[in-house]
Amino acid sequence: MKKNFFNKILITLLDNLIWLIVIASVIVFSILSDSFFTLFNLINIIPRVAALGLLIIGQSFTMITGNFDLSSESNVGFTAMIAGLLLASSENGGLGLMWPTALVIPIMLIMGTLVGLINGLLVTRLKVNNLVVTISMLIILRGLVYIINPGVSATKFPDAYNWLGSGTLFKFSHNGGQVSIPVSMIFVLIAFGIAFVVTRFREFGRNMYSVGSNRKAAETAGIRADRVILSVYIISGFCAAIAGLLTSGRMDTATPRTGSDWIFQVQAACVIGGVSLVGGRGSLLGALGGMLLWGIIDTGLNLMMVDPLLIDVLRGFLLLFAILLDTYKVRYLRRLSVDEALADTKIGLDHKKLIYD
Amino acid sequence: MEKTINTKPKSKENGCILKVASIYKSFPGVQALQDVDFTLNKGEIHGLVGKNGAGKSTLVSILMGLENPDSGQIFIDEKAVESMTPKAAIKAGVAYVPQRVDLMDSLTVAENILAGEMPKDKLGFIKWDEAYSESKNRLKKLGLDLNVRSRVEGLSMAEQTMLAIAKAIFGEAKLIILDEPTASLPRKDIERLFGFINSLRDKGVAFIYISHHIEEVFEICDRVTILRDGKNIDVCSVSDLTMSALISKIAGEDVKEYQRKSTKKTQAVFSVKNLTRRGYYEKINIELKEGEIIGISGLQGCGAETLGKAIFAMEKRGIGDVYLNGKEFNPDNPNESFAQGLAFLPQDRYHFGLVGSRTVKENITYPILKEFLELIGLIRINDEIKVVKDYINRLGIVTPGPDQKALNLSGGNQQKVVFAKLAATKPSVLILHEPTQGIDVRAKLDIFKIIDELAASGVSIIIISSEVHELIGMCDRILVMYEGKITHEFSRGDSKTTPENILGAIEGENHKNAYK
Amino acid sequence: MRISDIRIRKTFIDQFLWIIIAVIFTIFSFWIGTNRFLSGTNLINILLHSTVLGILVIGQSICLISGNFDLSAEGILSLTTVIAAYFMVPVKGFGGGGGFEWSPAVVIPIMLLVGTLAGFVNGLLITKFQMNNFIVTLSMQLVYRGISYLISGGLQIDGPPDSFNWLGSGTLGPIPFGIIFTPALFVLFNWYLRNSYFGRQLYAVGSNRNAAEASGFNSGRIIRIAYMISGFMASLAGWMLLGRVQSSYSKLGAGYTLETVAASVIGGISLQGGAGTVGGAFAGVMLLSVVDNGLNLMDVDPFWVNGIRGFIILVALIIDSQKVRYKGRELT
Repeated sequence: MKKNFFNKILITLLDNLIWLIVIASVIVFSILSDSFFTLFNLINIIPRVAALGLLIIGQSFTMITGNFDLSSESNVGFTAMIAGLLLASSENGGLGLMWPTALVIPIMLIMGTLVGLINGLLVTRLKVNNLVVTISMLIILRGLVYIINPGVSATKFPDAYNWLGSGTLFKFSHNGGQVSIPVSMIFVLIAFGIAFVVTRFREFGRNMYSVGSNRKAAETAGIRADRVILSVYIISGFCAAIAGLLTSGRMDTATPRTGSDWIFQVQAACVIGGVSLVGGRGSLLGALGGMLLWGIIDTGLNLMMVDPLLIDVLRGFLLLFAILLDTYKVRYLRRLSVDEALADTKIGLDHKKLIYD
Repeated sequence: MEKTINTKPKSKENGCILKVASIYKSFPGVQALQDVDFTLNKGEIHGLVGKNGAGKSTLVSILMGLENPDSGQIFIDEKAVESMTPKAAIKAGVAYVPQRVDLMDSLTVAENILAGEMPKDKLGFIKWDEAYSESKNRLKKLGLDLNVRSRVEGLSMAEQTMLAIAKAIFGEAKLIILDEPTASLPRKDIERLFGFINSLRDKGVAFIYISHHIEEVFEICDRVTILRDGKNIDVCSVSDLTMSALISKIAGEDVKEYQRKSTKKTQAVFSVKNLTRRGYYEKINIELKEGEIIGISGLQGCGAETLGKAIFAMEKRGIGDVYLNGKEFNPDNPNESFAQGLAFLPQDRYHFGLVGSRTVKENITYPILKEFLELIGLIRINDEIKVVKDYINRLGIVTPGPDQKALNLSGGNQQKVVFAKLAATKPSVLILHEPTQGIDVRAKLDIFKIIDELAASGVSIIIISSEVHELIGMCDRILVMYEGKITHEFSRGDSKTTPENILGAIEGENHKNAYK
Repeated sequence: MRISDIRIRKTFIDQFLWIIIAVIFTIFSFWIGTNRFLSGTNLINILLHSTVLGILVIGQSICLISGNFDLSAEGILSLTTVIAAYFMVPVKGFGGGGGFEWSPAVVIPIMLLVGTLAGFVNGLLITKFQMNNFIVTLSMQLVYRGISYLISGGLQIDGPPDSFNWLGSGTLGPIPFGIIFTPALFVLFNWYLRNSYFGRQLYAVGSNRNAAEASGFNSGRIIRIAYMISGFMASLAGWMLLGRVQSSYSKLGAGYTLETVAASVIGGISLQGGAGTVGGAFAGVMLLSVVDNGLNLMDVDPFWVNGIRGFIILVALIIDSQKVRYKGRELT
């Protein structure tokens, strides 16, 4: 009995580990830096990682089904560059077309989604290993970005375009200064909210978990696994395009390097947030926590004036740590029932009483 | 020895739900099923027993639509089924619960039950409260009380099995095939499971119960069908049978036994003292003389398999001592075992015995390559080939040459390659796990000859096997393990060393004339 | 489809398809730029790129044969070159070194040691902690590159001494040293893997790890050694590259990773492990060079070249995964 109780607590702990880490990091950084726990700073945390957050949503979806999408960062750069080229004037690195935002945004969303579709088809129809497909796509897309715009940034986008990434709402005074709520913060929170509702309350979301947990059993229950997987790749592509919009809007620029090196952060945030590498487990709320954690670490380390190159190294370590944690967590959770069975084993007990002796 | 009578009431003849007639099925090299009939009534728990390779799994595959019989017919609910496919099987109400249950383990019980039909509101959002209560109700109707909010992986094995059965029932299964459901269950869970199965039986569900645990077959089954060598030997009411009678039927009488020629010497060579590993085996004591062959047999999970692997250092050994050739034997890994003179033949040839994509030559010399090394780790290929060819000849391995890929050889020859590898390490003790599994009859004789010659040359051999007849033919002594302990010992030539007695000991029977 | 059909098809794909593609490309290049195909500078440039790539491919193919990826080799190259430059150059030039001015005779061994050590760390994480090799080496790449950023401060370090540069820039007569060095290395490793204890163990572990262990092999050790070799090769390649470019910057070596995997796969090494030879990987390197050359001659925009290369890589990987599906059926 006691053992069961202890186990239950441990499981709850493991499931919500991310929040403990988030709280801990907030405390740590508040101690290490005076300017951390200010309204101004805290409000800025999420906008910094809003684009990352969208990628996290997309990646979580694919990871829950047991697949990876490592191409998302290049997709971000790709869609951002397309938008940039169409929007900017020729002096500002664009094609000089200067199409209206209302036209450009749908185009970039479609392109991103198309990439996701291609990924999904390669994985589900041609049955190519998903790591291989998405890594190749990562390289190809990055190459394409360079092709369509070799080395020159596109900047000075219309305000309408930048609104999502850098716009603000509700100005109000605080501490003698002006504070306003960034649109991207609200947007990404809403996006996570929607994503969470889908995974928790929509059949499609539950199908994602089923496929990731035990594909065969899911198919036996009538779930079309291939369709689910194709859908999550499409969603991931769509999210990458939105992320492209967010980041190029925030920076008011699109460069060939936009989105580079993001895959590690996305993976790490997802895994630390509880979305397991093996698939079938994890929640979008946890992934939200992962995004928050990343934002906190980023802002905190920046405030402490830590060398940005060191931050990179730390990110790598964090990913490794996250994977280690995930591996052990899954093993523990799965072994629970076998252990129980073994502990209560026949050995040592009296010889079975035969009913009819 | 008149054994116990099953006193359960006969199941009512409710009508036949499954009938299988004159099924023939063959695979390359082996006739798996020969003229097999089988019937199952509604509300019946029907045991299906037989040794490994008797044809049980083939029959089940055919019932589930995974294989098509060469000839014969299947009737479900008195209607003939033209060709059985997995989809058709499900539609016909045939469900299969494997030994390791196949559920979505990171999802909750409720979701597993309601997969594909989760309750939704008008807008399509899932109603969790209703899901939990609905699934709980469904389970209640079956008399099952599980925590529907818990993840499946958090349930005990017994609960997972019961859940799998419940799922099958919800899927409108009319007959459920249970494959070794009690394999890793503790006693009280087995009783709970049986209670559940009985209550379902009373509601009219039919079960096919496949098991090696004859006691349990007696406990829960109404009738039992015995398969042997692909034929349906008999179908009896359990109440008309005694345990020993059932065991005789399984064992059969018409088996050619290999008669061993070599005899053991007197020098003691290998001893195991009080070896214990919690959860697997307890207080194991074994003494081996030079050139002696002993067999160890028992039900799946009795600990014999783990014991073999553990002595070889493929698994943890636990506490206790082992001595080989007078010295303490405590290897950290298989390599040290080889070096100190003990070799092990794994049961699974494909995953543990051979590296299939490499050549015969390479496979044979893996453990002894160090003898052929020069300077910076280079291999003296010529010397190596000589040794390999020698073994190929001695063991009669049929292969175009030493550079043939191992997976291209027949099963019997593959096994000979593994034997060659082990023999090349010049062991004092050889532990074999199911050495004749998956090998045709002619090759089996060859294997016996090899084992015989090895013993004659002074190697002590432990054969862990479920083929009691083979053990009787080959071994000086046969040990029986039950629930982790050695419970019986049979000696060669003794009148009590019969297949029936040994099988009975394996089942855990308490004969009045017990042998230890 | 019968077994014999599957075997023939597999052989075809294995051996001939890529050679056919290479031949087509070569002919095409010939036809388009008849007088330029064998032009000195053009050919030399491409060959030079492949000399560095080749060294990395040796390391990668050994890891792949053992059944593991090494996606961190780029990072190790970057790290070791930055370390080498840092200790060798006096404080001058664009950025600076540490002003140590150590002799290459000291620095080169340090470089190679660091590379091997990095490989060891990779191997340790994968064998002792049983972490997924793909993701671990992908992350370690970031870590190694990050450390190299830290050391160099993101700046360039120029001007290693001549005694260091000979591997990359030295010549034997008219021929750059690398063009002899790398193929010789391939021959050496190919021969060694075929005829050595280590080679046998490597293939056994990569084909069937369980059976290898049951045959007495220490599979963890073999895998760690494979990673150490890969790390060593990465630093060796760094030595050559730095000696050629004569300026170290942390982005050095970017983009090699996927090429090394592609060259190995094209050369017949399966991503499942236990199959293919280092010599075959050499053919893969050659093919990539020929394709590069051909594209160059066709005056294809260099950025397109990247895209096309990525595409070829994708195709190679798709074909490999189809091969594996057939192979899987064969064995069951």
